[in-house]
Amino acid sequence: MARAQQGDSNAYGTLRRAITPRVRRLVRSRRGFLGDSDVEDVVQEVLLSVHAVRATYDPARPLMPWLSAIVRHRLADAGRRHARQGAHEISVDDLDVTFQTPVANSREETFGDPDALAQAIQALPPGQRQAVELLKLRELSLKEASALTGMSIGALKIATHRAIASLRRALQGTDKA
Amino acid sequence: MKTDELIDRLGRDVTVTRPLPTPGMRTAVWMVWALSYLILVAVMMFAVMSSARVTPTPLYLVQQGAALVTGIMAARAALASVIPGANDRVWVVPAIGVATWAAALSWAGVLDLQASGTLGVTSQSDWPCVASMTVGGLLVGAPLAWMLRRGAPLTPNLTVGLAALAALSVANIEACLTRPHAFALTVLLWHGGTVAAIVTLCAIMGHRWLRWPDMTTR
Repeated sequence: MARAQQGDSNAYGTLRRAITPRVRRLVRSRRGFLGDSDVEDVVQEVLLSVHAVRATYDPARPLMPWLSAIVRHRLADAGRRHARQGAHEISVDDLDVTFQTPVANSREETFGDPDALAQAIQALPPGQRQAVELLKLRELSLKEASALTGMSIGALKIATHRAIASLRRALQGTDKA
Repeated sequence: MKTDELIDRLGRDVTVTRPLPTPGMRTAVWMVWALSYLILVAVMMFAVMSSARVTPTPLYLVQQGAALVTGIMAARAALASVIPGANDRVWVVPAIGVATWAAALSWAGVLDLQASGTLGVTSQSDWPCVASMTVGGLLVGAPLAWMLRRGAPLTPNLTVGLAALAALSVANIEACLTRPHAFALTVLLWHGGTVAAIVTLCAIMGHRWLRWPDMTTR
C-alpha cells in the first residue's frame, strides 16, 4: 500500500488482487445471507472506498485493521441501504396482468405466424432491423443499444417506430392474403 | 461490472497520494488557527476597551480550561474518526471534557447561590452570545470541516458532531471573553444550550455533508 501511495500501479494492482479474496471472505462471513451478486456489490464498494481514501492509510501501521474497518463500515452502509429499500419497496412476483372483463384480457393473444414475422423483420432496412433486434428481441435498453450501434437514442427511437409501422403494414398484408 | 474489470479500471487511476498526517498533528494545525482567532479577539477587545473586562478567578480559568481541552480533544477525536482502524470510542475523551466543563459551571452556580442568594436564571438573557458563538463556531470550524473531508466518512454523524463541539468550545471562550456574565448558570444554560443545539443539529445532518467520494468509475 505504501508503494501504491507513491504511484506504483503494479504494486497497487498486486495489492488489490491480494485483498479482494480477503474482502470477499470477510463480507461472506459477516453477511452469510447475501447472494453472490450482493456480495460482489459490497466487495466492489469496498474496493472503491479503499481507492478513494487510500491517503488515510498510515504506512507505519498494519494494513488489515485499516481494511477491516472500511469493510465493517461499508457493510453497515449496505445493511442500512437494504433496510431502507425494504421499507419503501415491495417485491412482487411477475404476475400476469388481468382485467375484470374477459374480453379485455390479452393473455391468450398470440401472433399466429412467426415465420411471416421473421420474414418481415428480415425485409426491413438494416437500421430498422438492427433497432428491432436489439430493443425488441434482445430487450436491451436504449442506452445499451446506442452504445452498441453508435446510433443516438433519438435515432434508435425513430428507427424502432418506423420498423414497427412497417411490420404492422407487412403483417396486415399477409393476413389479408 | 465485474470485480476484475473494476480492479483494472482503478489501476488506471492510481496517482501519487501523500498519506495524511496523524490526527494529533492535524489537530495541532487546527489549534494554531483556533488560538489565532482567540488571540485576535482578545487583542481587539483590549484595544477597544483599553483594559480587560474579565477578572479571571480560579474557577473561571478552570471553566475556560475545560472548554479549551474539550475543544482540542473533540477536534482530535473528529480527525481520528475519519481514519479507518483508529479507536472506535473516540468520543469518550471529549465527553469527559464536556462533563468537567459542565461540572465547573455547576459548581460556580452553587457558589453564586451562596454568595448572592440566587442562581440568576431569569435575570439575564444571552442572545448576543448565541449569535457570537454561532458566527465564531463557523469561523473556527470551517478549516476543521475542510480537513475532515480528506478522510474516510466512516461515521459522518459522529464526526461532524465532534467537529461542531470542537469549534463551539473555542467559540464559547471567545464569547466569555467578550461578554462577561454575572451568573455561571447563565453560561451553563445559554452557552451550554447553544452548544447542545448546534452539535445535535450538526450530528443529525452529518451524513449529508460528509460523504464517500464519488464512486462512479470512468
